Amino acid sequence: MSLETLDSNGSHIASAISDEVVIELNQVNKWFGEFHVLKDIDLTVYKGERIVICGPSGSGKSTLIRCINRLEEHQQGDIVVNGVTMDTNLKNIDAIRREVGMVFQSFNLFPHLTVLENCTLAPIWVKNMPKAEAEQVAMTLLERVKIPEQALKYPGQLSGGQQQRVAIARSLAMNPNVMLFDEPTSALDPEMISEVLDVMVGLAESGMTMLVVTHEMGFAKRVADRVIFMDQGEIVEQNTPGEFFTNPKSDRTKLFLSQILAH
Amino acid sequence: MAETMHEDTVFRPKPSLPPPPNTVGVVGWLRKNLFGGPFDSILTIVGGSLIAYFAYTLYLYGIANAVWSAGSYRECLDITRGNGACWAGVSVWMNNYFYGRYPDVEQWRVNLAGVILAVWLAPFWFPKVKAKIATGISAVLTYPFLAAAMLLGGEVGWFLQIMVGIALTAFAAVWLNVAASYAGYGSLRAALMRLSGFENKDERLQKYVLIGAFVVGFVLALLFQATWDLAPVPTVNWGGLFLTLVISGIAISSALPTGVILALGRRSKMPVIRVFCTAFIELFRSVPLITILFMAVTMMPLFLPVEVNLDKLVLVIIAVCIFAAAYMAEIVRGGLQAINKGQYEAAQAMGLNYWKMMTLIIMPQALKLMIPNIVGNFIGLLKDTTLVSIIGLYDILLMAKASGQDTKWLGMHTEPFLFTAAVFFVICFCMSKYSQHLERTIGGGYGRR
Amino acid sequence: MAVLEKGSPRRESRSIVEWLNDERVRSVLYQAIVAIVVVVVARYLFINTSENLQARGMSSGFDFLAGSAGFSIAWTVLPYQAGDTYFHVYLVGIVNTLVVSLVAILFTTLLGFFVGIMRLSKNWLISKMASWYVEILRNTPLLLQILFWFLAVFSLLPSPRQSYGVLDMFFLNNRGFYMPAPVPGDGFDLTMITIVIAIVATYATAVWAKKRQMATGQRFPTFGVGLGIFFGLPALVFLATGAPLTFDFAALKGFNFVGGVSVPPAFCAILLALVIYHSAYMAEAVRAGILSVAHGQTEAAYSLGLRPGMTLRLVIIPQAMRAVVPPMISNWMNVVKNSSLAIAIGYPDLVAVFMQTSLNQSGHAIEIVAMVMLFYMSVSLSISMALNYYNKLVQLKER
Repeated sequence: MSLETLDSNGSHIASAISDEVVIELNQVNKWFGEFHVLKDIDLTVYKGERIVICGPSGSGKSTLIRCINRLEEHQQGDIVVNGVTMDTNLKNIDAIRREVGMVFQSFNLFPHLTVLENCTLAPIWVKNMPKAEAEQVAMTLLERVKIPEQALKYPGQLSGGQQQRVAIARSLAMNPNVMLFDEPTSALDPEMISEVLDVMVGLAESGMTMLVVTHEMGFAKRVADRVIFMDQGEIVEQNTPGEFFTNPKSDRTKLFLSQILAH
Repeated sequence: MAETMHEDTVFRPKPSLPPPPNTVGVVGWLRKNLFGGPFDSILTIVGGSLIAYFAYTLYLYGIANAVWSAGSYRECLDITRGNGACWAGVSVWMNNYFYGRYPDVEQWRVNLAGVILAVWLAPFWFPKVKAKIATGISAVLTYPFLAAAMLLGGEVGWFLQIMVGIALTAFAAVWLNVAASYAGYGSLRAALMRLSGFENKDERLQKYVLIGAFVVGFVLALLFQATWDLAPVPTVNWGGLFLTLVISGIAISSALPTGVILALGRRSKMPVIRVFCTAFIELFRSVPLITILFMAVTMMPLFLPVEVNLDKLVLVIIAVCIFAAAYMAEIVRGGLQAINKGQYEAAQAMGLNYWKMMTLIIMPQALKLMIPNIVGNFIGLLKDTTLVSIIGLYDILLMAKASGQDTKWLGMHTEPFLFTAAVFFVICFCMSKYSQHLERTIGGGYGRR
Repeated sequence: MAVLEKGSPRRESRSIVEWLNDERVRSVLYQAIVAIVVVVVARYLFINTSENLQARGMSSGFDFLAGSAGFSIAWTVLPYQAGDTYFHVYLVGIVNTLVVSLVAILFTTLLGFFVGIMRLSKNWLISKMASWYVEILRNTPLLLQILFWFLAVFSLLPSPRQSYGVLDMFFLNNRGFYMPAPVPGDGFDLTMITIVIAIVATYATAVWAKKRQMATGQRFPTFGVGLGIFFGLPALVFLATGAPLTFDFAALKGFNFVGGVSVPPAFCAILLALVIYHSAYMAEAVRAGILSVAHGQTEAAYSLGLRPGMTLRLVIIPQAMRAVVPPMISNWMNVVKNSSLAIAIGYPDLVAVFMQTSLNQSGHAIEIVAMVMLFYMSVSLSISMALNYYNKLVQLKER
């Protein structure tokens, strides 16, 4: 459905991929108890690249991006982010998390802080930024996500779409060089989805490296440089959106696409 | 994935491999839960050795060095030198801990009363049997009279005789209902109709059959009851766990109805009723139970006519009931508040009046939500009932204390208290686990979401 | 009713039945019935009471409060001797109750937080230990625990001659617990004043540090410096003025200890029992409060680069406190109420000295019961007012 709406808005955004590697996953394996969720994942993400990850639920796509900022711990293989190898060293984890922003399905705004305070918390306490400067940065970002007038309200007073845009601004306030999106529109009403997707398209136009787990195929066609399809913990197929949607290679991908695009 | 453009590759998922051995199984569990890091390991070792030391000490005191038979506490001490428990004294006093000074030869009456209650309420757990609410109400309303007649014994007044008759009839009806259910009649009423041949008759005629059956049962029960010849046992001889259960049982069963009424009163739109109910609840919730008990034994006799002289046990039971009702009222109020406003609106829109809305729609949902709190309140009440020992009633706690002041067992305090604590722990722990089980199995209406 | 249900046309004049079915009339009627019943019952009780009092030849009223109480009290915080007025006994009882309650509240809160955090530990053994601690204490009666500590522990302590001592300063025996009493000398006022100054200075430092961080982003080690000022400054002044504080040590003279400050075994027993019993409930409140903060909050804070310590301080604790404080405060209320169980082991609290001894001596049951209940009600009222104020303060703003 959203395939049509976004397609009519414009053609594919020019890609701005450089040679610099930002994220590298090498033979990553992960288990939840006895359950093998990620199987031998290899993935290289270049600076400025926009990747959409799709797949049926339980295929491990959320787990994959949650491993990149170590909300989940992987058990085998290497993950290198911005040249820093992910291990149990807390310093390394801190360094990675500072440069990687994340947006959640359920927003996870801090309900006891105002919108502005949500956006200034990390710059003040992690980057030791003066409050006035942090607020200036936050206001600029809130303007970018088109809700500067809500700055002094609390998250509970906003709609879902507004909350998700605040969450994006909050992540951007740390000036990350990679953004992870974990199904950012799945908890939203249809009309709110487009306001969040618009913000994400804007972000893509500015050259941000993005990994997006989503089922919004219109967004994938318009924004993605690469679409990755996952099933049962492994990467089944990856290709440019043009090839992926018109000429899928695997029978599993075809089945998935026929189901998701049937309506 | 090297293939031609036109041919499909068939996706064959890689086999799931077993996780690395150090993350699952016993080793993985240990690493995750006990030895996650150096600090975690230290905690585990310190905690583990504390537990081991504690368990070993308890084993030495309670089992290895304990004395199981002796004539007096002195004898115990001579054997243990203070390093072991003297369970001999506890076993000598055991009967008193459970029955107080209820005469030995009459204790079967206490046991029988307990068994009757258990049998009366047993149909609650039979899935096939209907009319569970009627079973519960019949037990709450009539069992106390039956129990009173059985436990007190002696000359029984005409009022109590009639109530005992009704109670026995109700008891018989409950179990005939069970029998009818399992015999395939569905209910006692259906069985009676079928057997008397009034199955297809008018409602009114059917009612006569029911009344007739009740009268026959009642007369039989009354005749049976008249044959009883029980020796009188005054309440001063009641004691031990038996007394604790009598007081808390009466308080618990009276607390639910009075609590519901008080809570509804507090939420009422009528200011006079609301003020009275709020004042009652707040007054008795804000003062300690011991002050209410003192009030009952010192002030209550002043309030009553000069010629009336109430038993101390009755005064105490009134006090505990007031206390329990005030607490239950707040729990019920919380449960009512948790019900979605839409439920009230839907009920009113269907044309139900206030009482029908409450009994058919709101209360059934609210009660389910309240189960954990109600059971928590019951546990609290059972524990609080020990306060009657301060007023001088020989409940299980005062019996435990008294056993250490007996000339033969002078100084034996630890053992009776440990035993009493174990009794309370078993009862309360089982109740709270059962309530958690109920919470999981029953499931609520819309209120939970 | 039946008339209306059959749908008869409305008559011009309202019949009695119709009138009774009016919602407002019903409401007034019900309320009037309740009010009349209450008044009749109250009058009946009042008549009975005055007859009873007459029959027993007793007076009523609060005049007895000025009369002298002929009994002594084992241990008091306020000075008291036999022969003081009943009103003074009332005050002595209140202070004794408040002292044991406040000390118990302090320790039970600390212990409760400790056990609550233990229950949340990722270490299975630690969390199981805390969970059994809570289960055992919550499923046995408090009165039993009080009697146990008093009869089975504190009463079995050795006599003063064999008492347990720590550093020759603290002693524990079957007469109670003894500690040194501070005796301020000349110039000790100066140290006291410095303590006040140090508190102000610590606070000012914290405010300044926060301001500077907000302005420039620079962090300041507030905690360490504050600690230094708080303890260092008074210590310096104390030493500069020549350490003008001596201690009156408790010492064994004959068969008993003299000097120092002491509390009786009953105080130790009731305090220990209250602290341990209520810490179990406090632990549950703390655990439930922290668990009430969704895990997504932690993940969001981590993904922003906040360290675990900061996440706890800036995100989790502010939210958890909303859920922890209300049950914590009502737990404090329960500590005050349950301190009345001290009567069972002879600690002279309000209920023991006033509701029992004074009531037995003077016989003024109604007045005394009312006064005792008034005390507990005013404590409860002020606590619930504070709670309402807090709830309003921290309420989350929602749509």
